[in-house]
Formats: sequence, C-alpha cells, structure tokens
Amino acid sequence: MAEEGAAATGGATAGEKVIHTYPLIRHSDMSEEMRTEAMELSVTACEKFSQNNELAARMVKESMDKKFGPAFHVVVGESYGFEITYECTTICYMYFGGNQAICIWKCS
Amino acid sequence: MAPKKQKEGNKSRANLAEDEALDWLKPRTLLKPDDQEEVPEADLEEEVGRVLTTINPQWVADEVAYHYGQGRFVLKPKPTFGKAYPLYIYQGTAIRKDSEEAKAQIAAGYGMVGFDDAGPKRAKVKKSAAEEEEEEEPEPEPAAPAEEAKAEEDAVQEEEKPAAPEEVEAPVDEAAVGEETAVAEEGGEEAAPEEKAGEEPLIEEVITIKPRVKKLANQFNFCERAALTYNNPRRSVDTQTIPPPRANYGSTCLQSIIFDFYQEDYARKMKEKEDEKPKRLRKKAAKHAKSAQQIHDEQLAQRIREAWTILERLVNQNIYDDIAQDYRYWDDPSDEFREGMGSLLPLWKFQFEPMRSHAVCEVQWNPHYQDLFAVAYGSLDFTQQQKNGCLCLFSIKNPAYPEYSVITESPIICLDVYHETPYLICVGRYDGNVCVYNAQLTLESSYQYKSDSVRDKHSNIVWEIRWGARLIDGEASFFSISGDGRVVQWAVMPGELQATTIITLQSSVPPIPGPDGTLLTVNSCGSCICFHPEKADIFMVGTEDGMIHTCSLKYNRNYVRSVQGHHMPVYRIHYNYFNNSIYASCSGDWRVKIWEDGRDEPLFMFELGSPVGDVKWAPYSSTVFAACTADGKVYVYDLNVNKYRPICVQAVVSKKTKKLTRIDFNARLPVLVCGDTKGTSHVVKLSPNLRVMCKPPKKAQGVDQRTLQIMKLDKLLSLVRDPPFQTGVVDEKFDDD
Repeated sequence: MAEEGAAATGGATAGEKVIHTYPLIRHSDMSEEMRTEAMELSVTACEKFSQNNELAARMVKESMDKKFGPAFHVVVGESYGFEITYECTTICYMYFGGNQAICIWKCS
Repeated sequence: MAPKKQKEGNKSRANLAEDEALDWLKPRTLLKPDDQEEVPEADLEEEVGRVLTTINPQWVADEVAYHYGQGRFVLKPKPTFGKAYPLYIYQGTAIRKDSEEAKAQIAAGYGMVGFDDAGPKRAKVKKSAAEEEEEEEPEPEPAAPAEEAKAEEDAVQEEEKPAAPEEVEAPVDEAAVGEETAVAEEGGEEAAPEEKAGEEPLIEEVITIKPRVKKLANQFNFCERAALTYNNPRRSVDTQTIPPPRANYGSTCLQSIIFDFYQEDYARKMKEKEDEKPKRLRKKAAKHAKSAQQIHDEQLAQRIREAWTILERLVNQNIYDDIAQDYRYWDDPSDEFREGMGSLLPLWKFQFEPMRSHAVCEVQWNPHYQDLFAVAYGSLDFTQQQKNGCLCLFSIKNPAYPEYSVITESPIICLDVYHETPYLICVGRYDGNVCVYNAQLTLESSYQYKSDSVRDKHSNIVWEIRWGARLIDGEASFFSISGDGRVVQWAVMPGELQATTIITLQSSVPPIPGPDGTLLTVNSCGSCICFHPEKADIFMVGTEDGMIHTCSLKYNRNYVRSVQGHHMPVYRIHYNYFNNSIYASCSGDWRVKIWEDGRDEPLFMFELGSPVGDVKWAPYSSTVFAACTADGKVYVYDLNVNKYRPICVQAVVSKKTKKLTRIDFNARLPVLVCGDTKGTSHVVKLSPNLRVMCKPPKKAQGVDQRTLQIMKLDKLLSLVRDPPFQTGVVDEKFDDD
C-alpha cells in the first residue's frame, strides 16, 4: 500500500490530535497508472464538491468511465459499510480529508 | 504450198495477195453465205438503235408444275420478293407478335411486360414520336415475315432452298430496316397502328421508367439452360468469452476507523524517515533520544561513577600518600650543600596496561589543570611497528589509571593540547593522519575530527603538531609537519578538517631523476615545528638533515632564513619563555644548541653524549632548560649558574632497556614529566637548586619576577656576545606588518 504524501498534515487540534488530510490508500489492486489517476481524480472531485458527495461521485465515475471503460461504480461518504463484487485489478478504496472514504470499483 | 522463188527481193503490200503465207494480213473479203437474204443497200445503211431494259426475258411470270396429288398442273406460288433473285437466305427465329404462336406464348406468360432487374436505370430520354415508331416497327416486322415463313414452312413440305426465296432475313434491325420496311409494309402497316395506339400513353410519359419487354422465345429455337456454382452450406457458430475475474470486498467506513488508520500510517512514515537518515546521525540522535528509563539509568550511573572516582582517589591517596606529600611539600635539603647542583626526585610512574610495549612519543602538561598531562603512545621503532596507538590523559591524583584514554588505529607520534579549550587535543599519527580528540566526550566515541585519509593526509609520519591562532572566520586551526616535507595548516570546520599546505620544504639536494626519467625535486623531511610566541606568522622548522628554517605563513616558497643547525634530525626547537629571540634546539647529533634569532652561530652549544630526544626551557626561569637523552638521563642546565656544564644529570630510567623520549615542565609546579620507550611516564620533582628564582635588587623591590628573569637573561647574553647590532631577522622584515 504505497502512500503518496500529497498534502501536509493538517493543523493540530486540542492536545496531541493531529488530523492528517492527505489521500491514503486503504485497499487497492489497481495498476500503478490507474491508481494514481483514480487518486488524483477523487482528490480533485472531493475538493471541488466538498458539500455534495453525489456530484463528487458522479464526476469521478464519469471520468473513470471515459478513461478506463464503462461500468465503474463510485461511493463517496463518511460512514457506511459495503460488500461488493468487483472485477479484479479495478478496485481502489481510499481515505481522504481525514473523514471521507471513497470506494471505486468496476463491475459490468 | 511450195515456196516460190523470191527472185524479186522487195515485196510490197500490193503484192501480198500473191503471198499465201501472210494470210492474216490480207484484207478479208466479205464472204457471203449462199442462203443469205438479199437485202437492198438502202436497208443496210439504216441505223438500228439498241436499248437496255430491266425486263428479264427469262423470267417466268407464272410457273406451273404438275401436282401429283391433285393430278393437274398447279400454279406455283409467286415469290414474295418478286423478280429479285435471292443471293443469301438465313432462317430467323423471330415470330410476329400478333401471330397465333405469339399469342399462344403470351397467354402462357412468356412475353409479359416486366421490369428489368436493373430497375430505374432503363429510364429513357424523351424521344420524338417518329423515332418511337421507327423503333417499334422493326420489332413487329421481323415477327410478321417470320410468321409468314413459318406458315409457309409448315405448308410447304419439300425443301427447295434455292427455290424458297420467301425466307425472311435475319432479324437484325439495322440490316433489315430498309428491306423489311419495303417487304413487310403490308404486315407492318397492320401492326403499326396497333402499336401507335399502345404507344401513345407511353410517349407522353417518357421520363418515367420504360419497362423492357421480354422477347418471346419459343421452345424449339430457345432453350433455357442454367447452372449454379456450388455454394458451401452455411453454419452458425457462437461462443462466449470468459468474463474478467471478479472478487468480493467489503469494509466499513467510519470516522474512528479512518482516524486510526491515518495514525498508523503516519507512525509508519515517521519510522521510515528515521531509517533513511545516515547512520552516524542516527547514532548521535539515538544517543540523545533516550527514554525516561534510560535517562534515569544514566543519571544513576553518573552518580555511581562520581562516587567511584572519589573512592578511587581516596584509595590512591592513601597508597601514594607520602609521594603526594613529597610532591607538594618536600624540598631536598641537601641542595644547600651541593653548590648549585640539583637533583630530581622521582615521584610516580604512570603506565597504561594495553600500551606497555608502546613508546611514549609525547608528553604535555595540560595548560589548565596542573595535575593533568597528556601522553601519546606510539612507536618510534621503525623495524617493529605497533598496530595501534593511544592517547591518554593522566592525573597525578590517580596514578593507577588514566582519566581518559582512547585507542587509535595507528600509533600517535605527537600531540598538542589547545590552550583555549583544554579538552581539545590534536594528534598526529604514524599513518599521516591528524585527528582532534575531545576529552569531554565519552570514551566510547572516537575522534571528533579526522583528516580525510584519501585526500588530505600527510604521506609520511606526522612529527609535530601545534595549535595555531584562530582563523579569520574564527575557526580553530593547527599546523602539522611531517616527513613528506609539507607543513599543513588544518582548519577545524564543522564536521571536517580542511587542509591547506603552507609550505613545502625544499632541500638543497639537486633534483634527482625519478623512475620515469623526469627530475624530481627532493623534499626535505620536517621533524619539528615551533611558532614564535608573539608573531603568529613566524615559525621555525627543523628538518631531518639538521637544517633550521625560519618560515612565514605569508611565504610559501622560500624560507625567511635557513641555518644549518645540526648534522642529524632536529628533534625539538623551543623558544625561551622570557626572550622571544632566544631558542633552543636539540638533535640526534648529541647536541643542544641555544640560538639567537638572526645569528648563524649558536650562542651556546652543549654536547650530551647521546642523541637528545627533547629540550625544554623552564617556565619559571629564563636561563634554565632541561634535556633528555637516549641513555635515560635528564640534563638540567642553568646558564646563569654554569654556562658550560649541567647543574643536574640524573638517570631516570636504566640505560640498557629504555630511552627517554620526551620531557615537559609543569607550568606551575616544579615538576617534570618524561616519557620513555617502554610506555612509562615518570614524574620527577626538581630540587630547589634547579629552580632558583631571582631576587629583586634592593633598589627596586617591586619588580616582578618576569622582568627580573628577562634582565637576568639579557645580562647573561651580553656577557656572551655583543649586543645585537642588527635587529633580528624577525623584527627587521616584518616591522611594518
């Protein structure tokens, strides 16, 4: 699980709590190129649509569909559980912004 | 005919009648038959005209033939083409459209008006009615004559080809147009009006698609034959690819889980960063980074160590109590009776266990602590080199064990303690490297600074090393001289030592050819260096061939002054503490010489009987100096008392086994330390006669000891030589600096 320190750590809150907001891959078996693409895309989308998860997810899904083929599914949220079936080498589950989790997978 | 005799030569035509041979030339006479009619002449003159006509006189108008079936003469049918005589007859296959045969075929569905498969391509351009008619007419016309021919064929059984000139010609439109119009006018006219009626609607809509009329083909002349290539049978095959593999994955996403994961990841990253740092920094950092437990342990250990030191000192003091008392308080009372001669009282011997076989290459008292002195363990025996060396700091309070010791990779030949920060000691090594040790650091650490073994080190033994003045930027610097003939100044930079070659000692030996034929200049080997006490630029260098050079930091090529001082390597040059132009030198040629700056000849010269290892001026007196020799003796001279003989000669070590290598005066106490070749440092005390102080003259009681000493020396010198008529070299040249 390679990390890419795109952003510096967030400011420290009370006491020792330091919130890190950099994108962090939790589980992924995508190829390197697809993974970086997905990460950058989701970071952009989440920053652009910080209020609206649906729009962010839509943006990510449409971009991924265009680039890597149809039938991508994207979930953006802060608190959910999931169980999915995905085509191998096409899943990316990552955290971003300290409290958001984005799950991208392909299954036609 | 019997040839006549031609007596008469020339024959004329008139005579031809007579010649029977030329009958053909004779004019013919008209022969009349006998039964020819008599015609009057007038009728013979009558002109008769002749005319060509088309009347064929042989043509038979009506031919008659006997019909055996009927039994009578029957009129043969008239030929359709009249009086013409057929030259070529071809039987065609077209039939008239309106004949019964044609009608029968149409009824059967053959001659249906159908569209061509080519479709609208057959749209025809608008044509005039006349053209239409013309085109139409030839079509039915061949049908008509063909019909007639057929009918006639059926009727007439016999086949008389030459006599059947009624056959119709080929249905080729172009050829037949002319004749057929003439011949079949009868039939054509019947059909034409019919056609016209049917054509009218067509003529009007010319632009539309004109259907092509299929030609009628009877079964006798035409047969249809078709063939079809074999088409392979078709088959359907379908398959489905294996879909890409799928897998399941499930997880929960909660704030707490996200936070925990981030923390873990951050910790891991920090750890990775730690691992990347270079090893040494990490070691240092690791030293500093201590857990609370470690700090506590260390503090405890520190206190224990302190307690032990005190205990050790106590024990030592108890053991060496009398020596310690002597060291401080005992003065040899027999000196009063000895008339100026003195003695040395041996006090302690300092040894370091691992260095038992090493020689003491340098001893030096610490400028700050009067009981501390540094010892450099190395090896001066070139046949049996030691593998390592040691730097030790001994304290008189603890004669059993050094306060500080560090073992080095190669023997240490020289050392110098920095006046400003007495814990910094620079050492010169046998392998040419120089190091700086920090006595404050814990013993585990190695040198604080070391010269780069590849680039910057000396290529020969470093014989002497001296701290110098601070550089412009405030860095400490020291100078080293070595057997490769270079004097190098080292600047103590953070983290490294920076070397600058000050001067390369040239020798007076002419260049010798090297291994590749080029001439190499020979460097002389330097063996000692000493700085002028006041002028930091000036220093004296002694070489292994006995030359003493005065050099300046400003000049890196030439010497300021050179003196051939000795015949053997100069082991020590030492300036007098009270007079900056007086210095002493000792060498392996058994001599100690006292020089004055500017003179080529020494002021004093003493021969000691064996190679002199070291000579030092006493810090308390301007006229006392001590020297140690290879036969284990220490010589002390006081020039004020005796200009020619030492006031003390004492064997400190036995001559047979050990030699004395170095000697040093303690700055505050009348104590001397000398080192020998077996790793032992001896501390001896000077008896009172050796440390005679000046008494101030009665007139000026308040004059301090130093001026008194200077005066004493000046007085002495003036006895020895004329007052300097010229200022010393040092003063002369650099006055304007």
